[in-house]
Amino acid sequence: MREQRRKDAVWRFLTYAFVITMVVVMMVPLYWMLVAATLPQEQFLQFPPRLLPGTAFLDNFAALQERLDFVRTIRNSVLIAVVYTLLSLVLCSMAGFAFAKYEFKFKEPIFYAILATLVLPIQLLVIPLFLLMAQLDWTNTFRAIILPWAANPIGIFLMRQNMKSIPDALLESARMDGATEFQIFYRIALPTMRSSLAALAIILFLFQWDLFLYPLVILETADMYTIPVGLAQLTGFQRIYYDQIMVAATLAIVPMVVLFLVLQKQFVSGILAGSLKE
Amino acid sequence: MTNKPDYARYGRRRLMKGAGLAGLAGLAGCIGTGDPEGGSNGGDGSEGSDGSNGSSSSDEDSNSDGGDNMASEIDVWGWDVAARALTITAEEYESENDATVSVEEFGRSAMKDRLQTNLLSGSGAPAVSMLESVDGPSLIDTGSVASLTDEIEEAGIREDFVSGKWEALTVDGDIYALPWDTGPTAVYYRRSVYDEHDIDPDSIETWADFIEEGQKLPDDQYMLNLPEGDLSGVWRYQFRQLSGEPFLESGEVNIHNEKSLRVARNIKEVYDADIAANIEGWTSAWFSAYGDATIASLPSAAWMEGTLRAELPDTAGDWGVFKIPALESGGPRASNWGGSNLMIADQVSDEKKTRGWDYMEYSLAAEEMQLAMYDEYGLFPALETTYEDPVFDEELDFYDGQPARALFAEVAREAPGYRFTADTPEVSQAIETELQRMINGEQSPEEAVQAAAETVAENTDRDLA
Repeated sequence: MREQRRKDAVWRFLTYAFVITMVVVMMVPLYWMLVAATLPQEQFLQFPPRLLPGTAFLDNFAALQERLDFVRTIRNSVLIAVVYTLLSLVLCSMAGFAFAKYEFKFKEPIFYAILATLVLPIQLLVIPLFLLMAQLDWTNTFRAIILPWAANPIGIFLMRQNMKSIPDALLESARMDGATEFQIFYRIALPTMRSSLAALAIILFLFQWDLFLYPLVILETADMYTIPVGLAQLTGFQRIYYDQIMVAATLAIVPMVVLFLVLQKQFVSGILAGSLKE
Repeated sequence: MTNKPDYARYGRRRLMKGAGLAGLAGLAGCIGTGDPEGGSNGGDGSEGSDGSNGSSSSDEDSNSDGGDNMASEIDVWGWDVAARALTITAEEYESENDATVSVEEFGRSAMKDRLQTNLLSGSGAPAVSMLESVDGPSLIDTGSVASLTDEIEEAGIREDFVSGKWEALTVDGDIYALPWDTGPTAVYYRRSVYDEHDIDPDSIETWADFIEEGQKLPDDQYMLNLPEGDLSGVWRYQFRQLSGEPFLESGEVNIHNEKSLRVARNIKEVYDADIAANIEGWTSAWFSAYGDATIASLPSAAWMEGTLRAELPDTAGDWGVFKIPALESGGPRASNWGGSNLMIADQVSDEKKTRGWDYMEYSLAAEEMQLAMYDEYGLFPALETTYEDPVFDEELDFYDGQPARALFAEVAREAPGYRFTADTPEVSQAIETELQRMINGEQSPEEAVQAAAETVAENTDRDLA
């Protein structure tokens, strides 16, 4: 008994030690980014590095803003990611519901065909998509960034898996009560999926937030840039403006952090929800 | 324009990206039949490509055949200080011509990725864009860069540029870009350290001299930096110094010849002499080591001055330069590291091409413009005729009164050409790996260059010379 307790204590100690080490490993680059954003370039290049924040944040921000209107860049990214996330949530949940709860011809082949598109890397799609957008005269528009990815295969898959857990009897009784198919989806199915939707929202938002090569090619003028595209413009050659890059990177994570804090609870349960089915 | 040491360019991520783009190239081959006309002006609403107002006043632009219509608007892409330098010439050009030249500044790798996609897809590229010499052949090979052979011949400006620039811009006898700046090499050194330890830069003629003088430094100071991860950059400038070519004209791999071996041996000798620090380039530790003179000399190119001025302002006035040491007494001491050009995308309309060429010639083949860009942004001109200008003999405070530009000009004139190809990254990668094993004592210089040559031959489907 005593033996057992000691064993547990050792285990707990090791677990905590491991977790704390990992936290430090993860947090140090973030901390350095925050510190570096407040240092003038000369101090940034000092070795050994300064570990306490400086006072140059506003100067760095002003220099960044002069070079590239980064506030607008963030606004572009937020706008694109929010619109994309909402649109994609609607499409993915509807498609997921159909694949989970309806029987139709070629249901399985279609579903696996959608899944199969996951193996295509974005790099492969950039040129055909760019040509398509050029022909539609959609280059340098936000819709060209949003629409091609709106029906997201991961989203469809995730929603299908989760929607399968809704008891058929529940839908059947709604049908008996005279609900239309859309009402069943909207009134019955969707409310039970809140945590899955929250998790998917974060996944979709992050996907769009991080997209780089495709917007780089599509967005032509600086006033349309998203954050990753804007950040890439700061790396010149003879001088790399680390101070400005760090300010930009710091600002860039703020919307992400806010979103995660808001959806955190649902996110965790949403991710776990899928793991218990089937 | 300038370029960073190789390790930065051919890192793993970059190679993977390259592989991705190779995939894109294949794909573009299947799809790229979409109408290039519609695409070429689809981008930024630059519908002014009809060129109807290009000939509004008959006597300006002294074009050989006045019938040429020129677009009234063109876009020009570049990165960093190079793009800013182009705004100088664009402004001048606009004041003398009835045209709008919009210069757009990008991040370096962001622009490369984007331009490559635009070129491969046949749509969205600007009329004029910057082209680093090292990227020349890989872009030209896609068939999406316009040949400028006729324009250059007609303008009669070929001889005006340093001869070493052309090789990287020429494929199958056609020239695809106009030289802009160049990277004549030299060793930067800290005067105070050399003085203190009685090192005489004038007495350094060969690498053996360099090593000998370097031994005078105390243990905590280094004569130069020789970082793991950038051996291929060192190898390349020394191999080029000996007029080495990584590939024969007929395509065979040629990095295991006597010259390459000589360079590999030299790198090993420098390494074994214990005079080299091993600090990754362009990191804060690296800047710091040059800031406090832990490292006393820096073999690099003319463009490094701009970086040193900007990042280590306190060291101004304590620098000097001398030519890269020869590999053996009496041997050549000139090489080149970096440099850019301007090119025209083949997909743009003829009117835009004509306007683009007119602007390029105005910017790069005119001494006044090249000197203005050099003066303001430190882009060392590839236009040899500028070197006669008195500005090259000026004594510069940054170098404690040394007329360093004259030295760079001399090196630029002498620097041999170099055959960059789409497989240049393979060479860098293989040389890096094998020389690394060599300095670790795992193999001899002979084995290292042989192994590198075999790797390149195998990976690129070429024969050994």
